[in-house]
Amino acid sequence: MKKTFTINISGTLFHIEEDAYEKLQGYLIKLKSHFGNTQEGREIVADIEMRIAELFTEKGKGENKVIINEWVDEVISTMGTPEDFKAQEGEEVGASFTAKRKRRLYRNGDNRVFAGVCSGLAVYFKIDPLVMRIIFVVLFFANGVGLLAYLILWIAVPRAQTTAQRLEMRGEEVTVSNIEKSVRDDAQGDTTAAAAGITPPATKASASKVTASGQADRSPEVARSLLRIIAVTVGIFLIMTGFLGLLGFISTVIVGQTFLADWPVMWNPDLPFHGLLNQFITPSGAAWGVTFLALLVGIPLLAILYAGTKLVFRYRSNNTAIGLIMVGLWLVGLMGLVTVAAREAGNFKSNATLSGSETLYPTPGKTLYLKLAEDKFDDFGEMEADLPRCKAVLADDKVVLLGEPRLDIEKSATNDFVLVVKKQSRGRTQGDANNNIQTILYHYQLADTVLTFDPWYLLGDQAKWRDQRLDMTLKVPEGSTVFLSDGMEEIIWDIDNVSNTWDRDMVGKSWKMQPEGLSWTDAPLPVQDTTITEIRNDTVR
Amino acid sequence: MNIENSKAQMRKGILEYCILRVLSGKPRYASDIIAELKEARMIVVEGTLYPLLNRLKNDGLLGYRWEESSQGPPRKYYELTPEGRTFLGELEMSWLELVEAVARIKSHQETTTEAEKTENN
Repeated sequence: MKKTFTINISGTLFHIEEDAYEKLQGYLIKLKSHFGNTQEGREIVADIEMRIAELFTEKGKGENKVIINEWVDEVISTMGTPEDFKAQEGEEVGASFTAKRKRRLYRNGDNRVFAGVCSGLAVYFKIDPLVMRIIFVVLFFANGVGLLAYLILWIAVPRAQTTAQRLEMRGEEVTVSNIEKSVRDDAQGDTTAAAAGITPPATKASASKVTASGQADRSPEVARSLLRIIAVTVGIFLIMTGFLGLLGFISTVIVGQTFLADWPVMWNPDLPFHGLLNQFITPSGAAWGVTFLALLVGIPLLAILYAGTKLVFRYRSNNTAIGLIMVGLWLVGLMGLVTVAAREAGNFKSNATLSGSETLYPTPGKTLYLKLAEDKFDDFGEMEADLPRCKAVLADDKVVLLGEPRLDIEKSATNDFVLVVKKQSRGRTQGDANNNIQTILYHYQLADTVLTFDPWYLLGDQAKWRDQRLDMTLKVPEGSTVFLSDGMEEIIWDIDNVSNTWDRDMVGKSWKMQPEGLSWTDAPLPVQDTTITEIRNDTVR
Repeated sequence: MNIENSKAQMRKGILEYCILRVLSGKPRYASDIIAELKEARMIVVEGTLYPLLNRLKNDGLLGYRWEESSQGPPRKYYELTPEGRTFLGELEMSWLELVEAVARIKSHQETTTEAEKTENN
């Protein structure tokens, strides 16, 4: 049993078997592309279809009424394929069409080393294929750019197979000067025709009309030339955008930084995620993330590049399969990235808090001097990061994540200074969050009356960023005074005071805890460091 | 030099002449023309004829009209235009000249080779 279709060839109905139908359709498509989509070409194909219908009608007079595969084979061998026409007509016939054809980029199968890309480009630019090959080899050593370009062109540019395509490959050059020339030639042709008085049989009154209509006929051609120039310009822009975008993106992913940063390019994808990414995403998550991101970003860039080359070189390409695969891969990238992101977000699901407090006994008693310790990480290179309350530095080739502590000052319920240290973190589970808290490392120390804070807390050696936070509250008893040294503005955060003074204006002053709150006071100057005799090192665990 | 190509070139010019010649009588439709040319072994595949008919038509040498057919859809009947007739006349002349030219060269060669032979002998 076989499936049949009913088809209409030039007004006659036929029943045709499925495989025969496909073969016939392929043949007709080949004919159409050979003769071209001009009025002339369509007429020729219509004539041929008429003849095919006739041949089938003759065959259908016997027992069998359904067109079978063998009949189609017979008809094709009777009518001949474009290749047969070429053999019959000889190359010269084709050459006479050359002038009319627009030049398109094809891969040249007649003269190829791998896929005929260089040869095709050489034919397109009318240069020696060897020159083109040398250019590609040189580009190959420039970061493999040549290889990438070659592969893209290999996939995107079709091979010249039919005679028509071979002719198009060698067609008229599309350059601005050529377009100008053709426009100029047209104009001259008109004036000479008018001068010689070669006008259609018409009265003198209508002669000017004829010339006018002649000009009107030419204007679409001028418009087409202009459109072509615009298309080529846009195409070149797209090629550069796509190409530099891809280059920048690849170098960002692989090397970790884009070396195009200083180039005068129109768009430069600067994604500083390499290395840093590993600080808050699990390694497998990062690898998958980068893969999916490459699909998500790379495919549109490839598409831009493809569209650009297509605009510039005007090649035909009907590679639907590759297009669909690309769209499919892009969707995979999108869904993959969403999945990875959702999984990684799960690492922030649980929240844990750990509080500890210490009562401080500053000797001699009623005043505490607060100062910030020297920033040990100031000299190290800081990595670009955009994590809240966190910075990443490169210390001895190792990435260290540092958090910004915060200090608030409140009234103490007792008669003693009390420092409350609260640590928070997130994690996939409560246990994870707790572990992340355990690795937070922070130092402060009290010496006599001087309380010194480290400007940073460490997130831990192997720790990932899980929104770890460290908030301290210094509880000051009523009647006692604190002096905020310069530099403390780095860590103090929103301290309530009677005069509503801003944090950064509170430093360099003494503040006394009054019943109504913290208020500015003329207090003694801070003690000198030389008076520190005893150092206590306190670490809140 | 490609022998196929040379043959094709030779055939091409003559094919135009043959088509016009076939059409010099009454109007014919495409399948008639094909049958005749095939019989004369002027064409191998039929597809080559259509572009040629189309071109001759566009050049004003041929015209066609539709005629109803008893066995199916209407058919295109081609016939020579007055220009086509003049053109054919010139081609006829030129063909005769060519035949004569080839014959003359051949006979001249034959006489010279025979003369050489006699000299050698």
